[in-house]
Amino acid sequence: MDDRDRWAALLAEATADTNTQCQRICQLCVDLLEVSGGGISMVTSTGNRGVVCATDDVSAQIEALQFSLGEGPCVDAVTSGVPVLIPDLRQHGDVAVERWPAFMEAASAAGVQAVFALPLRIGAINVGAMDLYRDRAGDLEADHLSAALMAADAAAIALLHLASTADSTFSDDLDTRSAYQLQVHQATGMVQVQLGVRTEDAFLMLRARAFALGRPLLDVAIDVVERRLRFTPEDQ
Amino acid sequence: MTTEEPTTASLVTGSREQRLAETFVVLADTLVDDYDVVDLLDQLVTACVDLLDVAAAGLLLDDQRGNLAVVASSSEESRLLEIFQLQNNEGPCLDCVRGGAAVLSGDLELDESRWPRFVPVARLAGFRSVAALPLRLRDQTIGGLNLFDSRVDRVTPDERRLAQALADVATIGILQRRFAHRSTMVAEQLQHALNSRVVIEQAKGVLAERNGVTMEVAFIALRRHARNHNFKLTDVAKRVVRGDIGSDAIAVTPQDT
Repeated sequence: MDDRDRWAALLAEATADTNTQCQRICQLCVDLLEVSGGGISMVTSTGNRGVVCATDDVSAQIEALQFSLGEGPCVDAVTSGVPVLIPDLRQHGDVAVERWPAFMEAASAAGVQAVFALPLRIGAINVGAMDLYRDRAGDLEADHLSAALMAADAAAIALLHLASTADSTFSDDLDTRSAYQLQVHQATGMVQVQLGVRTEDAFLMLRARAFALGRPLLDVAIDVVERRLRFTPEDQ
Repeated sequence: MTTEEPTTASLVTGSREQRLAETFVVLADTLVDDYDVVDLLDQLVTACVDLLDVAAAGLLLDDQRGNLAVVASSSEESRLLEIFQLQNNEGPCLDCVRGGAAVLSGDLELDESRWPRFVPVARLAGFRSVAALPLRLRDQTIGGLNLFDSRVDRVTPDERRLAQALADVATIGILQRRFAHRSTMVAEQLQHALNSRVVIEQAKGVLAERNGVTMEVAFIALRRHARNHNFKLTDVAKRVVRGDIGSDAIAVTPQDT
């Protein structure tokens, strides 16, 4: 997709309503990325786990299967933190596929031929995975992969809000360009220590502060890194 | 790894040819083992600064979302990071990655009209010449190696070939991992490298705040702890972020630079 800005705007629109954002992100992928269905599962360090949404019955089955079998591309994406892209489930030469015999059998029976599992994570923060599937074999083309990765970034933040124990009900903007600059992650680590909170909450609080101040996330992060801004528990 | 083995950091003595040979031995050794990709890239940019006698080196990867992300930098200085990051909009590295070919500016002053936003910032930081070499895999360009120097026309054609060889090692280092036969490997490995860097940044933030030190000192402490204990840099970083390693376990000395 050459017009990434348009895709980013669509994702931002999809995440405007916190109640439906995960479902809408998946639906956008189905509508525009030539996949048959999509689903999101949450797996967090604090033990939250479960299927968050699915666009259709097959997707729901893919998500549920992986929890019941404890194996599959989504499980691997969560544990490794790396995308697991399987363009053809029937290609037995693929070592990854051989690792999930039970999932393979059940997914194939459901008509799934390709699965693209994207981890929902920001560095050491892991919140789950997004699975996109196709009823035909074939690679996710480069532009679609790029869009899917952006969708996964949006879904990761959406899930963080869902899983957060802190109050994070502010309407978040999807500033993905600056969200992935080094200083944002450095600042996250610093805020985590300043407040004695988990990394995921520190990340959300940094975003919340930028939102409250009406300033770009990167600028606020640089202020933290340069020690011009400190977070104190009383502020929260 | 035993302490007698050379590391790129220790290769400060000897002739350039000797150091060059030793650098490639170290890199080749690393590539055989189950190595940490960010650690390898960090060694590479350090080697670039040392062997090519340039002021700064950085490695940027296509994050597959339309941005270039910094994965290794010879210095943590925020002004340098900003110059690298600025190239998301324009600059030699962006042109290099888009065009899949080396982009050289022997004198930035003469290229101000080409990169009107990048050049003033780079010059303000004291840089006068830039070389950007592509990280190429067949028809795909996955990123770029940036070399900055304060002198005009710093990099000679011979050195450019050496820099490209180092960029090629970086490409191999990023992509030659498990599942090498899979067509989707490039995306998986790129994302792996990018996320490893994010984990390390989070850990640097934790260490910098706990110990009241700079990001540079935090990184050196993290890297030293990983190398001394033969742990992977990213694994150590992950444990720091999750609080599985206490603040006293990693020796942070503020005089580290």
